[in-house]
Amino acid sequence: MSTAQGAKGTPKEKGRGRLGSFLLEDHRYVLLGTSVVAALGMWLSMQPRSALSFLAPVYALEVVMYYVLLAWLVVSAVALVTKLVRWRDYAQTSPFAKPAARRAERLCSYVVWLFSAVLFLDRAVMGFVSVVQGAVSSNSNPKDFLSAMVYMVYKGRGIFARGIATTIELAVFGTVIAFFLALLLVFLRLQQVDRPDNDFVRFLKVVGCGFAKVYSAVVRGTPMMVQSLIIYFAGFAVLSGSGMSTNEIRAVWSTFVAGLVTISLNSTAYMMEVLRGGIEAVDPGQTEAARSLGLSQWQAMSKVVFPQGIKNSIPALSNELVINIKDSSVLSVIGVFDLMFATTTVAGIYYRQLETYTAAAVCYLVLTMIASKLLSMLAVRLDAPAMGPALSSSEVKVTTGVAGSASQTIKTEIESAQTQHRGGM
Amino acid sequence: MAASNTAGTEPVIRIGGLRKSFGDHVVLKNIDFDVMPGEVVTIIGASGSGKSTLLRCINLLETPDSGHVWFHGQDLAAEHVDVNRLREKIGMVFQGFNLFNNLNVLQNCTLAPVTLKKMGKADAEAEAMRHLAEVGLADFAKSPVTSLSGGQKQRVAIARALCMRPDLMLFDEPTSALDPEIVGEVLSVMRDLAKDGMTMVVVTHEMEFAKNVSDKVVFMDQGVIAEQGDPQQIFTNPRMPRTREFLSRYLEDKPAEVREA
Repeated sequence: MSTAQGAKGTPKEKGRGRLGSFLLEDHRYVLLGTSVVAALGMWLSMQPRSALSFLAPVYALEVVMYYVLLAWLVVSAVALVTKLVRWRDYAQTSPFAKPAARRAERLCSYVVWLFSAVLFLDRAVMGFVSVVQGAVSSNSNPKDFLSAMVYMVYKGRGIFARGIATTIELAVFGTVIAFFLALLLVFLRLQQVDRPDNDFVRFLKVVGCGFAKVYSAVVRGTPMMVQSLIIYFAGFAVLSGSGMSTNEIRAVWSTFVAGLVTISLNSTAYMMEVLRGGIEAVDPGQTEAARSLGLSQWQAMSKVVFPQGIKNSIPALSNELVINIKDSSVLSVIGVFDLMFATTTVAGIYYRQLETYTAAAVCYLVLTMIASKLLSMLAVRLDAPAMGPALSSSEVKVTTGVAGSASQTIKTEIESAQTQHRGGM
Repeated sequence: MAASNTAGTEPVIRIGGLRKSFGDHVVLKNIDFDVMPGEVVTIIGASGSGKSTLLRCINLLETPDSGHVWFHGQDLAAEHVDVNRLREKIGMVFQGFNLFNNLNVLQNCTLAPVTLKKMGKADAEAEAMRHLAEVGLADFAKSPVTSLSGGQKQRVAIARALCMRPDLMLFDEPTSALDPEIVGEVLSVMRDLAKDGMTMVVVTHEMEFAKNVSDKVVFMDQGVIAEQGDPQQIFTNPRMPRTREFLSRYLEDKPAEVREA
């Protein structure tokens, strides 16, 4: 197929078929793209109006808009057919290709965009607003999906707000703490025995490097959910061993503190590996030059290698914040009142899981998108290398959130923790 | 500085019985040679003959397997020697420049003096500006190093080394990564240094430089010093057949260093 076309096509078409070239190179914006917009506008116009529709009183105007969109579809269909028929000399012979006609097409396309935007505003935006109005003023949980979601988010807004705030706190503080711990750990990890070192320093360096390796292997090789449970209950056991009563322990070792410790320690291991990658990517000649001037290993690292290595790692490091926003959801197993826990709480009150978890997904998506936007702005400010796809964690992380067969046992966990929490609320 | 003035006849560097191997591959076998104060020694030889490794053993960037490197009479190769203190007195210029990419030109020059000599920032900058002016780059003091050409980078690297007021300068193929037309600017800086009496050890493929500027030429072949002596004698009347063979290739077609590198 492709070879036959390549043989037939003129060099100008670069082996791309007539249809492919037509779709990709000509008229794709004005005629083809705007036709899609016009069709969408017409489809919106066919949808039922909501109570808040501002086009309802001016029905005639909407009819005009509808037919303008239809006219656009007809005209562009004719233009496109002309284009296909007069393939060789379209630019010279077609009435649609004259400069004046091209200008008119462009202007009309703006009108089509405007009309479709107005229809979108009327049907989709005002429709959503009216659903929100209805749901907010409703006394019972509405039946339909969107209304029920809005109703429950509205009723549980305090819980959701608290959950979102906790999630942001956990992710931001956890990432910042983890960054400094990771700097410390990567410093240990990269220690090499140097000639001037005495035996004690050599011993410390070997121990430090070994510790960093073991830490990274253990933390990255176990799920964060398990880590959070171990840390929470271990802290509890240690404190009760020191003779504190349960209430005293709760005051000090709250689930939030345990969660923050977990997320910091967990993220430290990943960030250390990220930093190590960035630092090891720095040309060894930089260290050699620094050492040749007489700088010690520590001075060469801190003044020359680390600044460059950290700069290399900025995209992957900021990715950790995004990952932590999502992975903090795991901490709801120990009863940290994060967004996930808040969602489960609300779902438990109304017995409507699908709507509430969808709302949670939207919240997480918005949070992560804001975070990656802010971080890429920061990266530009710091003149760091380009940001990678920040929403993907599959390559970096071993642990993931609540899913699949584990969810049943977790649910009971959550419910018991939830009752505990409600008492405290 | 003081040490070299009082003991004029004592070598700055004396290398004795130096051996170095990477795994099973022996790179240096029993190297002995001296560098006297104010002397310019060039090390020539085919690629893989151990020239660069020898140079890197002098400031311990490579650790020798056995043997001694005496710098002003102190053995650098002994265990637990504070090599950092001694490296301050040995400047090095690399083939790949190795300027610090996170710092600008001036900061490259002042980093080590400020960190190691506890020099005031203003003093260090004044001295750095003097050395940058010597290499003709005073106007570039505030530029990021990535904006410089290869020849400019290498001249900054020389200025950076000079800021530590070294007793000895090591050059590891300083012109091999440069375009042929800008090799000259680096060589002329090196020539000026030699004229000012700096002790230098230069690994190079620039035979003209070796012949005209150096006081002693060391020809290395397969990890041993095949021949060393006066440049005029080595270039006009080499004793060893291997030296003759190596030099004849260079003297036949001059731009051969491009092929060698």
